[in-house]
Amino acid sequence: MNEAKSIHERKHVWRDEILLIVGLLLFVGVVYAVNNSLQPVFTPATLLLTGVFLAIVPAAIWLVFFYLQDRAEPEPKGFVLGVFALGGILAAAVGIPVVDDLFRVSHWLRSDTITTIVGGILVVGFTQEFLKYAAVRYSIYNSDEFDEPTDGVVYATAAGLGYATVLNIQFVVSNGGVDLGAGIIRIAVVALAQAAFSGITGYFLGRAKFESEQIWWMPLGITLAATFNGVFNWLQGIVTRPTLSLSGATSNAWMGLALAAVVAFVTTGVILVLVRRNLKSLQAGK
Amino acid sequence: MANKQVSLGDRFAEITVVALTVIALIAGWLYKSSIENASLAFNAEGVSAQAPKGWLQVEPAGNEILHTVDIKSTGFGATYVIQKIPTTQEASAAEVSSRLSLNYAQNLLAFRMLDQREVTVYGREAYEISYVFVESNPDLTHDQLPSVVRGTDYVFLNGDHAVVVTFQADEKNYDLDMGRFLVFLRSLSF
Repeated sequence: MNEAKSIHERKHVWRDEILLIVGLLLFVGVVYAVNNSLQPVFTPATLLLTGVFLAIVPAAIWLVFFYLQDRAEPEPKGFVLGVFALGGILAAAVGIPVVDDLFRVSHWLRSDTITTIVGGILVVGFTQEFLKYAAVRYSIYNSDEFDEPTDGVVYATAAGLGYATVLNIQFVVSNGGVDLGAGIIRIAVVALAQAAFSGITGYFLGRAKFESEQIWWMPLGITLAATFNGVFNWLQGIVTRPTLSLSGATSNAWMGLALAAVVAFVTTGVILVLVRRNLKSLQAGK
Repeated sequence: MANKQVSLGDRFAEITVVALTVIALIAGWLYKSSIENASLAFNAEGVSAQAPKGWLQVEPAGNEILHTVDIKSTGFGATYVIQKIPTTQEASAAEVSSRLSLNYAQNLLAFRMLDQREVTVYGREAYEISYVFVESNPDLTHDQLPSVVRGTDYVFLNGDHAVVVTFQADEKNYDLDMGRFLVFLRSLSF
C-alpha cells in the first residue's frame, strides 16, 4: 500500500481553485465584451450550440489548470475526468429529475424567505451535495489513487463541476440557447457555487479517509455543504432581484456573480487553512 | 500516509450519510406538501371550500363564485373554478353536463370530450366529465406555444341549482396537480 508515503499537500490544488475563480471572472468579462462590441446575430441552432459550448467552458478552465500544474505527483487523468463525468451523469439521471420533476421546486420554493432557505437546504442542497459526495465516495474514494487528504477537494471539485456543467447545459437547452449577457453570468455563478460547495464535501471526505473521524463527521460535512447551498441560493435571489424604477427594470446579475466569487474565494480560503492546520497536526503526531 | 481499509466505522458513517439524506428529503417533501396544501377558507352563496393559498384570485364571471389560478405552474396554470348554475328540479346532472360541454365546445379551441360518467365523490353523487382543449391566450406578447389543457368537471345537483367544480391544468402537470385538487374537492361543502 502507501505506508511509506510522506504527508504532504498538493499546493497546486489551491492555485487551481483560485485560477478557476479568476479564470471564470475573465471568461465572463471577455464574453460580455465580445457580445457588446460585436453584437453577434445567431440562428436558433447556433445560439443553442454556443450556449452548450459556453456551459462546458468553466469545467474546461479548471481541468486545463489542473493538468498543467499537476506534475509533481499527477493524478490519473482518466480518474479525474471519470469523477467529473460521474458528477454530470448523476445530475442528469437523478439530481435534476428529483429537484425539478419530483419536488417541482419552481412551484413552491420561492414562496417566502423561510421556505426558500429551508426548502433550498432540505431538497436542493441535500440532493446536490449527496450526489456529488456519492460520485467520489463510490468511485475513487477506495482507490489507492485517493492518497492525500487534498484529493478529497480535487475529486469533489471535479464532481461539482460535472454537476454544474449538466445544470448549465440543461438551462441552455431548456431556454433554446443562452443570452450572452445574463446567461453567461448565470453559467459562471453555477460553476463557482457548485465548485465551492463541493470543496467543503471534499475536505470532509479527505479527512474521513485518512483519519479515524467520528461517525458524525461525514454527515456534518454534507449538512454544512447543503446548508451553504441553500443559503447561497437564497442570497443569490436577493442580490439579483431586479431593481424597478420609472425607466424600467434593471438586472442585477453582476451582483450575483460578485457574490458567487466572494463565496468561492472565502470557501477556498477557509478549506486551505483547515487542510494546512490538519496536515501540520498530522505531521506533528507522526 | 496509510491508505486505510474501509472500516466498520466508515461503513456506519456511509450509512449515516445516506440515512441523513433520506431524512432530509422526507422532511423536504413534508415541508413542500405543507406549503402546497396551505389553504384559505372560501365561502360564498352557501358554498364553502378550502381554496389554495397564494393562488391568483380571478374576478368570477357569469355563474362563477370562485376562480383561482396557480400562477407558479409551468404552461397553463392549474385552475379551480366553482360555478353555481340555476337548474330546474327535474334536470339531471347529465343534462347539466351536456350544457357545459356544449358551452366548452363553442368557446374552447380544439375541445374534445374524453370521458363522462356518474361517480361518487366523497360520499356525494356527481357527474364527471373529462375533456381536453388547446389554450388560446389572446395576449400577443405571450411568446409561447399554446398548451394542451386537460380538464375535469364534477357536477353536483343541489335542489334548484347545480354546483360545478372544475379542474384544468396543463396536460404535462395534470396528474401531478390532481392530488392537490382532490384535497380541495374534499373540503367542498354546500
